[in-house]
Amino acid sequence: MMRDPQTVCIVMIEDDEGHARLIEKNIRRAGVTNEIVPFTDGTSALAYLFGADGSGQASMGRALLILLDLNLPDMTGVDILSRLKANPHTKRFPVVVLTTTDDRQEIQRCYDIGANVYITKPVNYESFATAIRQLGLFFSVIQVPEAEA
Amino acid sequence: MHMSGSTVTRRALLMLLAAALALLAIIVMSGWLADSTRQYSGSLSRMTALRVAAGTLLSQLQDAEIGQRGYLLTEDRRYLKPYEAADAAVESTIARLRELADGNADELRIVDRLAVLAAGKREELAETIALMKAGRRDESLAIVRTGRGMSLMDDARRSLADLITPADAQLDTQLGALTRQARISGWVANLGGLFILLVVGGAVWIALSYTRALMQAQRAIQSLNDSLEQRVSDRTMELQRANDEIQRFAYIVSHDLRAPLVNVMGFTSELEAGLASVTADLDRRPAEGDDPMAAEARRAVAEDMPEAIGFIRTSTTKMDRLINAILALSRQGSRTLSPEPVSMQALLENAVGSFRHRAGELRCAIDIAGPLPSLVSDRLALEQVFGNLLDNAIKYLDPARPGRIAIRGRAEEDRLTFEVADNGRGIAPQDHERIFELFRRSGVQDRPGEGIGLAYVRTLVRRLQGDVTVDSVPGQGSVFRISLPRILTLASEKPAHDA
Repeated sequence: MMRDPQTVCIVMIEDDEGHARLIEKNIRRAGVTNEIVPFTDGTSALAYLFGADGSGQASMGRALLILLDLNLPDMTGVDILSRLKANPHTKRFPVVVLTTTDDRQEIQRCYDIGANVYITKPVNYESFATAIRQLGLFFSVIQVPEAEA
Repeated sequence: MHMSGSTVTRRALLMLLAAALALLAIIVMSGWLADSTRQYSGSLSRMTALRVAAGTLLSQLQDAEIGQRGYLLTEDRRYLKPYEAADAAVESTIARLRELADGNADELRIVDRLAVLAAGKREELAETIALMKAGRRDESLAIVRTGRGMSLMDDARRSLADLITPADAQLDTQLGALTRQARISGWVANLGGLFILLVVGGAVWIALSYTRALMQAQRAIQSLNDSLEQRVSDRTMELQRANDEIQRFAYIVSHDLRAPLVNVMGFTSELEAGLASVTADLDRRPAEGDDPMAAEARRAVAEDMPEAIGFIRTSTTKMDRLINAILALSRQGSRTLSPEPVSMQALLENAVGSFRHRAGELRCAIDIAGPLPSLVSDRLALEQVFGNLLDNAIKYLDPARPGRIAIRGRAEEDRLTFEVADNGRGIAPQDHERIFELFRRSGVQDRPGEGIGLAYVRTLVRRLQGDVTVDSVPGQGSVFRISLPRILTLASEKPAHDA
């Protein structure tokens, strides 16, 4: 089954609504029109990704790209990242980590766990917007693998 | 019981002195007694010998007389044998008596008299025997009948008694004195012994009670020490916790302060973009004559709003820099140091090399007064420390004169001191401490910077267990002095981190 990039759904887990809005605006500005499903806390995002039973069956056959903020009110993004990469149904979803810090150790830890891209939310808005737009380009070239049955 | 050490020592010494005196008295008494005993036994043996010699002399004289009488009665020559033996021995016995009486005038006189008497007796005996041998028996007996021989023998007996009696009396006196002395000695020995026993007992008691007091004191010190260690470690843990808390706090603050800042900046950009489209739209329309509202709106769009946005931008940029500085400091505080041997000469040559270009533009000379001592420390931290100091030295040179920067180092036992000296504009005395605080700067604010460098340097140097100070004269230059341990040991840091 061939998958159109348009069918890729973007899951945005970001507790700061301002950031969420800015990210969305820039994604749209980059010409990406994929559906964006926003979550402002980790618990509801996990419920969506792994289903009510937490098994991950819910994500079977889905084509998702996950934008993940590390600073969430109820848990850290690293926890979500670890669970995503540990579950056979979700481990192939590309994960873009978004955070306010550029702490080298944190970045390395995220890549070690399996983050595909790590983006620092800089205060310099232009570079941030550029990064997000490049992410849009990234969306259009990635080949989201068919989820296994 | 509380006694000072010196009191105890003094008491013990006094008691020992008393005991020693008692012992000395006993020894003197014993010596005296032994001397008297020796004297007495000398006297006793002399006396015995004198008695024996006197008895011998008497018996020899009697033997001689008995032999003579036997011969005169029987004319049997066999009786002459005891006479001759006794007669021959008399001289030597008298010599023996003289020898024993040696030194005593009275006795010598008596012995002399005895010798005369003995000679007289022997003469009488020899005369009678000679007459008998010649067959003149009557003449011989006539001599015997005169009684001269008998009176000589009586005189001799008396003289011998005279010789022995006073000696006996003297011996008795000596014995009495000896007995008294022995009794006194016994008393002295008993009393002295008792006294020594008491003194030793007292000394032992003092020593025991003192030792007990000492042990109590030691126990008290030990428990105090234990609790002190406990308190120190509690305090250290508290400090460590407080420090960790500050680190976390700084991290969280910078993390969470940045999130709203991202929004401020992002939506400012959105405003700017919106403003741009509004401006573009306004520009397309013709000016609406003298409508004051329209003019007002145009001025707001063209001047006020861009100005406001500009201020928001510079403020957020500045705030971002400050947050980054706090973040960098908090990271530096939590970074794990890895001590390794570092050649300071090489490290500083490298550091100077990276500033060479900028220094050349400013006609500034940087000299390393090598060779610099090496140490074991964290290389990265050292690079950052000296990089910051050199950067400052170059940044604050006085444009009025060519810059000169000198790097010196010296070793003192287990610490090293390095100096970065410049001839720049200098720092006012009231700012010498302030410049090491975060976001604080000194002098004319004509150079770029946030007041972070030296705060960073101080944080790093303190983590390296060193210290940084400054000497400076405004208008002449500054000397930054860094003192570091020769070998950085993190032993104390490890458990604190685990805790």
